[in-house]
Amino acid sequence: MTRVGIDALTYYLPESAPTLAELEARGALRGPASTLAGFGFERARVAESESHVDMATHAVRALLSETNTSPDEIDLVLYAGALTSSSTMECAPAPAGSVLQLRDFMDFFKYPASQLQSEFELVNASVAGIDQQGCAAIFSSVRLARATLLAEPDVRTVLCVSADRLPHGTKREVVYNLVSDGACAMLVRRESERNRIVATHQVTKGAFWDSGSLENEIIAAYFPTARTVIEDTLRKAGVTLDDIRWVIPHNVSLRSWEILLGLIGCPREKLFSANIGRVGHTIAADNFINLRDATDAGLLHPGDLLLLFTFGYGLNWGCMVLEH
Amino acid sequence: MTSRPASERRTILVTGGTGTLGVELVSRLARADNASVVVLARGTVRPRPAALPPGVGTLTGDVRHGPTLGLDASDGATLRERVTDIVHCAADTTFNRPLADARATNVAGTQAVLAFAKECRHLQRMACFSTVYVAGRTTGCFAEQDVGGASGFVNTYEQSKAEMEAVVRDTMRELPIAIYRLSTIIGDSRTGEVGGLNAIHHALRLLYQGLAPMVPGRETGLVDLIPVDFAADASHHLFEREFRAGATYHLCAGAAGSATLGTLLDATMTAFERYRPTWRKRRIARPAIVELETYELFVRSVEEAGNQVLLQATRAVQAFAYQLAYPKVFDSHRADSVLGPAGIAAPHVLDYYDRIVRWCVETNWGTQP
Repeated sequence: MTRVGIDALTYYLPESAPTLAELEARGALRGPASTLAGFGFERARVAESESHVDMATHAVRALLSETNTSPDEIDLVLYAGALTSSSTMECAPAPAGSVLQLRDFMDFFKYPASQLQSEFELVNASVAGIDQQGCAAIFSSVRLARATLLAEPDVRTVLCVSADRLPHGTKREVVYNLVSDGACAMLVRRESERNRIVATHQVTKGAFWDSGSLENEIIAAYFPTARTVIEDTLRKAGVTLDDIRWVIPHNVSLRSWEILLGLIGCPREKLFSANIGRVGHTIAADNFINLRDATDAGLLHPGDLLLLFTFGYGLNWGCMVLEH
Repeated sequence: MTSRPASERRTILVTGGTGTLGVELVSRLARADNASVVVLARGTVRPRPAALPPGVGTLTGDVRHGPTLGLDASDGATLRERVTDIVHCAADTTFNRPLADARATNVAGTQAVLAFAKECRHLQRMACFSTVYVAGRTTGCFAEQDVGGASGFVNTYEQSKAEMEAVVRDTMRELPIAIYRLSTIIGDSRTGEVGGLNAIHHALRLLYQGLAPMVPGRETGLVDLIPVDFAADASHHLFEREFRAGATYHLCAGAAGSATLGTLLDATMTAFERYRPTWRKRRIARPAIVELETYELFVRSVEEAGNQVLLQATRAVQAFAYQLAYPKVFDSHRADSVLGPAGIAAPHVLDYYDRIVRWCVETNWGTQP
C-alpha cells in the first residue's frame, strides 16, 4: 500500500495577540466579549503589519529549513485560501473601501502561489490555487495532493500552503467564533514516515452559498451534517471512533465542539483543545497548527489515529483520518 | 342527581367542542337519536360554521369563569336542569405556557366544570379528557391505573393535567366520571388534515426550514402518536357504549402502533422530498438525535449567544422534545379490552403519517388552501 502522508508541517502566527477585552475596546467584536469567553476564546492573533503572503512565506521558509528540503524537491504547490482576498496579492495603499486592496485590474492576476514559487525558487513545481471552500480549503489541498501523488508517479512532494488574514477593520467575530490570522505549510509525500492519510471526505451544500442571509440555517445545518461527515469518514477509513486517539479540531468555539462531541459520542478527553482559547480560529490553518502543537507536546505516538474535522462557508464540511 | 328513563332525551354538554378533538367528537355524539348536543364555546373562538353538524347548539361561555362557566344566567339554569352528560374537552394544550396560566384553564377550569356538574341533578356520566403524558419524566411502562408525575414533568401542560386528574379523582366519589388520557394527536388518518397545529407540527415546520439541528431522545425510542379520528371513535365508544365511572383509559398507539424516533425522522425527510421536490436541493440533514445533556448544552449556547431565531426554534422543539428523552410505553389493556371487540384500534402511525406531512407541506402548515 502506498503511504501518502503529511511528512512535515509548520505554521506562522502573528505576534500581536490582543485579548477579548482589547478586541472589544477596538470595536472588533459583534457582541460582548463575555459571550466569546464563555465559548472558550481568550485572544486572537492579528497580523498588524504582515500580509497573508508574508505569513505564507514565513511558514514555507520554516518548513524548508526545518526539513532541510531542497526547493528542487517540490513538484507541486497547492495554495489554499478561504477569503477571496487570499487568492491575490495585496498592493497597499488601497483605495478606501477596497476589500481586496487592489488598485489596478491587473492586480487580479498577481497570485500568491506564483510568488511563493519565485521566492523559494521552486523551479520544478507547478502551482495551483484552491479556494471557494472557506475554512475547508486546506483540507481540499491535502486531498488533492494525495490524489495527485497516487495518480502521477513523477510527483513525489507536494507543498500545501494556506494563509488568510482578515482585511483591516473587519470584525473578528464570525458566527460566535473569534477569527485569527495565520498560515500553515506542509509537505505531503509518498512513503511518508508520519501522518499517513487514511481517508478524506468532503461534503458541499451549495444551497447555503449566501452565507450572510442564512446564518441561522447554517448554524442549524452545521451539527447534523458534521456528524454525518465524521461518521462517513470513519467508515471510509475502516475504523470507529473508539480507534481514534485524538480529535484535532478546527478552532471554532469550544462549546460547539462539546456539542459535536456529544453528537458523535466522543469523550471530551480526546479533543486537543489547548489552542482554541490561546490561538482562536485561524480560518484554514487551525487543524494543522494544532497537529503540529500536539506533536511538539509529545501527545502523539506512532500509529495513533487522528481525526481532523473542519467546516467552511460555501458550505463545506471536511474531514480526514491520519495515522500518526 | 336523579335518574331519568333511558328513553328520555339526553342533553350532552361539551366543553372544548370547537377544538381538534372536540369537533370530531361532537359530530359523533350528534348522531345519537335521543340526544341534544350543546357546545360551550368561548366568545372569541366561535366554531367554524361547517365544523359542527346541524342541530348542535352553541352557548357562549368559558370554563375559566368559574362554576357559572361564564354562561348567561338563564342559559346556565336551563342547562343545569337538562344536562345528562358532560364531555369536558376544554384545555390549554400549549406545552410551555406559564404554569399559572396552564392551571387557570386545566385545573381551575376543570374545578369549575365539576362544580357545575354537581348542580346538574340529572347527570348520568361525565368524561374528562387528559393526556397520557401526565406520566411526566417517568420512563418504562406507564399503565392506566398509574398516577404520573412522581419523577416530575417535562412541561407545564403535563403538570397541569396531572393536577387536573387529581382534582377529578377526588370528585369521582360524588360524580360518575371517567378519564380518557389521550396520546398526542397529529391529524386525521384519512385525509391528513390537521385541525389544530400543536408542538409536533411546529417542530415539523422547523425541520422543514432547516432550523432544527437536533432533538433529544434515542434513535430507537418509540414516539406515541394517534390520529384524531381514532381518538374520537375510541372516546365516543367508551363514553356512549361502555361508560364506566371511575375508570381511566389510555387512548394511544402503544408499542404496536408506534414508530421509533429515528424512523419518524426518516419518514419526515422522505415526505418532504416527495411532496416538495425543490426541498431536496437544500440537502437539509436529518436532525441529530442526541442525549439530553448535549441538547441542553446547545440550547444554553443559543441562549447565551442571544440568537432570537434559533432561540425560538429551540424552545419550540424543547416544549415537546424533552419528553423524547424519557422513553416510555403506554399500556392500554383496559381500553383495548373494550375497544378491541368493537373493532376500534389505533392505526400504525406509519400507515398515515405520510398524509399528515403531505398536508403540512401542501398547505404550508394550514396557511394555504
